[in-house]
Amino acid sequence: MFTDKIELNDFGKMDPEYKALLSRVLTIQADCEIGGPHLYVERMLPAAPTKLDQLIVARTAAEEIDHFRKVARVAGDLGTDVTFVLSQPNEKRFVDAFRGLITTWEDNAVFGFLIDRIGRYQLEEFYDCSYLPLQRILPEIVTEELGHIEYGYNKTLELLSKGDEEKERVQNAVDNWYVRALDMFGRSGSARAERYRYWGLKRRTNEQARSDYIKEVNPILTNMGLKIPDPLKGRRYL
Amino acid sequence: MAQAAPNTEKLDEHLLEIVRALHGAVKQGVAHLGEPKIVDGAIVDCEEILDVIMAGDVEAWLSEAVA
Repeated sequence: MFTDKIELNDFGKMDPEYKALLSRVLTIQADCEIGGPHLYVERMLPAAPTKLDQLIVARTAAEEIDHFRKVARVAGDLGTDVTFVLSQPNEKRFVDAFRGLITTWEDNAVFGFLIDRIGRYQLEEFYDCSYLPLQRILPEIVTEELGHIEYGYNKTLELLSKGDEEKERVQNAVDNWYVRALDMFGRSGSARAERYRYWGLKRRTNEQARSDYIKEVNPILTNMGLKIPDPLKGRRYL
Repeated sequence: MAQAAPNTEKLDEHLLEIVRALHGAVKQGVAHLGEPKIVDGAIVDCEEILDVIMAGDVEAWLSEAVA
């Protein structure tokens, strides 16, 4: 296991595998950060139920763009150009959950509390990681992601208070995002995930992180009066 | 020492300006929620800024920044 902590100045001396994995994980992270606004800005900014919600959609997008900026800076400084993800179509996003478009307020609310939570999990993987410039950008980003999760949770509760018909729409959104959330952790037993861990770039295996997420999210869904979707139905990565 | 990707610093500065402008528009709107003209103007500002970012034309942004 690699236990050193390295700075930008040390990067050039690192093993090619380390360079490739760090470059890859930063590119995917940048894609996920900008992938969020690309999912919801087009339809949700004009269609949010109140002016305040419209402004919060814009503020959320601003924060995600800023997260992209910070990740792109860390990547760019070590020679990895991630700017192509700013203009790539949604269907080419690295992570399946970001391919498509959010078209309903229910999907937008549930996306916040289920998928932004995955964002938090992804970022937590880098806590105490071997690349210090990446570690340093985390606290502010994670704080903002927590705000997005809370907003999504509150908006979902608000929708649930509107009666059975609305509850059914929310449940449909949960059924959609839950399995996509579980897929976002990647394949169990992934050899690449082991190499990330070897180089101190991630802390948990994919299956550990997924299991932690399930333990956290399932009681929340139950407390909200929602059904927990079949965790295997429609999954692409087991 | 690694060699930085082209335009890393310029893009960082440009996006920071964009983010600040967006936050400024949001704050303006939130502070005037009871005044439809101001809040609607702030939302339009947000939409216009986000349209540019969503288009992702980095070359155009950076050439504007230089000009």
